[in-house]
Amino acid sequence: MGPTLLFKARLCLKVICARTMCTKGMRPGERKSSHRQTKTDKTIRQSDRQTDSFTARRVPSFPASVFAAGTAKRTTEMLKRKTALSSLEQEDEAEDQPRRRGGFKTGGMCYLRGSYRLVAPERPLSPTEWKKLKETACDPERFDVQMMTLLLKSGAELDIAKSLLTFVALDTGTMSYHLLLQYLTLCVKGGHDAEVLDIYQIMRRAFPTLDTGASTLFIKTFSRTPSWREALHILRDMKKVISPSPRNYSDIIGGALLHGDAATAWQLYDEIIEEGMSPLPDTWQALFEGRAKGNGGETGNMSQADYGKRLLGALGYMRDNQVYPQQRLADTIKTSFQSLPGHKWSGEWTTVTPKGVCKCCGSELESIQLTQEEYQRLKDRVMADIIQGKDVFNKTTPEELESFKAFVKRKPLFDVVVDGLNVANIAKGRQSEMLLAVLCELEQLGLTALVLGRKHMLQPSRAWDRHNMGLIQKKAHCFFTENTSEDDPFLLYATLHSGNHCRFLSRDLMRDHKACLPDALTRRLFFKWQRGHQLVIHGIVQLGRRVRFQMIPPYDTIIQSSGGSWHIPYDDSVDRSSYEVPQRWLCLTNKH
Amino acid sequence: MVGVLLWRRSGSGTRTFPPGHVLCPRGFSSGCVLRTDASQPDRGDKIDLDLWKSVMKSQMDESPAGDGDGEGAKGPDSPDGCVLAATRELVSMWRQAGKLVPDKITEEEVQTLAELSTKSGKKKYLKYLAIREGHKKKDREKREKRRSEKEERFVESDRPPLKNSFLVQYRDHWLDRLLGWRGVQAMQFGQPLVYDMSYEQHMTPYELANSVSQMMEVEGTNRRARDPFHLHLCNLQPDSGQRRQLVRRYGADAWDRLLVTETPRRHVDLFPRERLVYLTADSPHVLRAFDPDAVYVVGALVDRSVQTGLSFANAKRLQLATARLPLDRFLRWETGAKTLTLDQMVRILLAIKDTGSWEQALDFVPKRKHDGFYAGRDRGDGGPGRDRGDRGPGRDRGDGGPGRDRGDRDPGRDRGDRDPGRDRGDRDPGRDRGSDRRGPAWGDQGFTKSFGSSESGRGGQDRGGPGRGVGWAGVSEYKLPVARIRPTPKGRTEDSRRTDKTRKPWYEQD
Repeated sequence: MGPTLLFKARLCLKVICARTMCTKGMRPGERKSSHRQTKTDKTIRQSDRQTDSFTARRVPSFPASVFAAGTAKRTTEMLKRKTALSSLEQEDEAEDQPRRRGGFKTGGMCYLRGSYRLVAPERPLSPTEWKKLKETACDPERFDVQMMTLLLKSGAELDIAKSLLTFVALDTGTMSYHLLLQYLTLCVKGGHDAEVLDIYQIMRRAFPTLDTGASTLFIKTFSRTPSWREALHILRDMKKVISPSPRNYSDIIGGALLHGDAATAWQLYDEIIEEGMSPLPDTWQALFEGRAKGNGGETGNMSQADYGKRLLGALGYMRDNQVYPQQRLADTIKTSFQSLPGHKWSGEWTTVTPKGVCKCCGSELESIQLTQEEYQRLKDRVMADIIQGKDVFNKTTPEELESFKAFVKRKPLFDVVVDGLNVANIAKGRQSEMLLAVLCELEQLGLTALVLGRKHMLQPSRAWDRHNMGLIQKKAHCFFTENTSEDDPFLLYATLHSGNHCRFLSRDLMRDHKACLPDALTRRLFFKWQRGHQLVIHGIVQLGRRVRFQMIPPYDTIIQSSGGSWHIPYDDSVDRSSYEVPQRWLCLTNKH
Repeated sequence: MVGVLLWRRSGSGTRTFPPGHVLCPRGFSSGCVLRTDASQPDRGDKIDLDLWKSVMKSQMDESPAGDGDGEGAKGPDSPDGCVLAATRELVSMWRQAGKLVPDKITEEEVQTLAELSTKSGKKKYLKYLAIREGHKKKDREKREKRRSEKEERFVESDRPPLKNSFLVQYRDHWLDRLLGWRGVQAMQFGQPLVYDMSYEQHMTPYELANSVSQMMEVEGTNRRARDPFHLHLCNLQPDSGQRRQLVRRYGADAWDRLLVTETPRRHVDLFPRERLVYLTADSPHVLRAFDPDAVYVVGALVDRSVQTGLSFANAKRLQLATARLPLDRFLRWETGAKTLTLDQMVRILLAIKDTGSWEQALDFVPKRKHDGFYAGRDRGDGGPGRDRGDRGPGRDRGDGGPGRDRGDRDPGRDRGDRDPGRDRGDRDPGRDRGSDRRGPAWGDQGFTKSFGSSESGRGGQDRGGPGRGVGWAGVSEYKLPVARIRPTPKGRTEDSRRTDKTRKPWYEQD
């Protein structure tokens, strides 16, 4: 009796679970009606996220989205572990090999290098001693440079390098640029700023110009010293030939702020943006630190208010370019806000509920939905750049495109567009079954679905069962492209043309299509739209069982402010791929 | 002691500053100061570590020419000239900093360099120039070495010893004549093979140069083939970069004499549509059998980063039949794009035309790209091409093992040892040439020797049939001069012939 009861209870649990997971206690009938209602009044549906048919299905136990930071990394590691288990023995062998090879290699290198290998001395040598050493070297011509490289590699003491230079100067009466450059690198690496200034005097006078490597090193050092303005001259010289790197700018900005010249720092910051370069995290770090340090209203030659405005501008830039700060920078931003005199900013590290509410301050985050304008722009660009591109024949043919356009016009607006082949290929060999299972689920949810596929799917085979394909065509609208055409552009077209409520179902991250878009702004729009409209199947798909989808977050992960608060998503690890968004937030609120 | 050394050196100072690698030693007027400085290490065994600074400074004090030279080099005040001068100086500084930079740089190259917007772009361009400079230098050295060797050889044996022989001396121009004959025949009766040259706008300058090199290789391979295609270079606009480069690299004369058809017209205008088959890696159809009546089209596109569907899009637009090579059917292809170079394509097509065996044709696919052929496959399922198998397996590349082809009959086929006095008339000369490492062999028609199982695995198949077909007509023609010409000593004759003919023999090209 006992076991049966238990079993029954478990079954009940299962049913409940399934229900809560999929419809959150709603009966299918209810969902359908609510769906129909929303369909009749689209504007209401779009504006009110709560009635969204997909939002209702979200409970905290739902799996994270494919766009959540770290998902790709975790998946790769899981796959690696899987393969590692299967080929454990091979790995063992592989582990043995490098050890053996390594031993041989070092031996071989010693042997190959010939009779004598340069060894860096442990103390400064006198010129005579150096001379002896040089005579034993296998390549006396390049002895000085080789020895300096060696010193640089081993991070030797500066005195040894100095003694080498002295020897070279006495021996040849002069010094090559290469040698001085290496010595300079050693000095900058070791932080010997006074020495660098000396070298600068010498090199400036001995050589007509400096190369980019030396300029970068000098800029770096000068920015640390009171004579940081010299770095500006070097930068100006560099600009004659090449555009300096963001690193150069970053160094000088740091130097300017260190010495209280905020105006110059911001001017240089503007220059970076004008050049079309993206500032380094260090630049922002320095800029925000600049305010944090200048606590008592001393931001050099810039008023506190101006400085604050500029910082907000920087945050705006990060928002527009979808830049997410690292933990360290986020920390600095927090301190910078908190140290503002006259305001009471408080910052908290937090996360966001799946419904898009900040767990710290309880305010709602920006919606992921595009505005009407943005939507229209995206629609046009997708048509022009992804589907047609430079040559409409690349992805399809004009006839096919026209027939598809007519097809979309003829049919009612879709709720879901299914990437048939992508969904079906979850399980090889039973493709049509997978597709049917997913479509059954969509039918139960009362959604109008469009299945996009290729014509070869209609050819009966083991994978594409005739009966299943017949059922699929009954359950959903179908469009089959030529076998030689791409189906993803059609998917995007159909989804975009069915309106803002329509989603698409695919595991494909559409990165290749995103890359077809010419400008960064449209790419960001596309990505935002994708995050708000892409359904991904979660877990196992089986005919006759419910299919689960990954949740679509209703909020946009981007730096945002509303009235008295700022919400800044930040990276807490380096595992984020470029197509993922961070999950952790910094919540800044202003309490009056 | 060191001071003495310095003082002595000061006399030999020359003033060439700054372009050298090393600042040239110059005189030290402040020698006495230096002497005292330098004497320190000797005295107290304490090394003056900053001595080098005073040396450098004293040098500069003496001649502030460093800055002066730099200013002078900047030249005209126009901003354009200023940029160029600055670029030139940057190059010289990079050179001094030990970067990979060419020793000499022309005005045009500086202009190109200044136009490149990024630092990495500039560095890459300079690296490319430096490597090219190195190659050129090496080539020049090699050429000079060869010339001097040759001169030495002629001095040693002014006149090669005459030898009486019943064997015919083989001449290079006979081969040229033969190949020319074949080319003409192919242009009259041969199967057309179209290279579609309409992809210029899709290629970078490097890729374009590569495509031109590959086209030259295509032409050379086809010229040397036993049964060449009639090559058509379609869509080749007269003012296009591709054509300009081709003409420049062949030389205008050689280009005019080349036995290929170049035309600015489209292939669909030249041939009936139903005969055209566009070969493209993106095609859904696999080429199962080579059709001798079809006109195959190959897109002359070199894409370092694969541009999927480019040629296929063209075929779709023109509604042509398409096909891809059966690479997957025969080769264990692991990863990587199934793209082939243009010359590999012509080799594969020539081989499949000749043999009808995909195994032999796909032997020209680079080995690094795949993991060998599928074992145990039904050999010779190449379809209609099979009955052509009686042409013998001689079209194998010369790198086959000793049991392969006719390698066991021809000990002296290595082209390297063609010393003047050598008698090579002991066999059909064409066959000798044909088993060269390049290209398919030819000239073994009518040769009915039957092999046992050779390495190529087809040795016993379909052998023994008499030579036939249009492609063979050249053979009799080719044998005639052999009978007519008497053996003569080679050395000088050949040399004189070569000097009065500007065009290099085929095996020395490329």
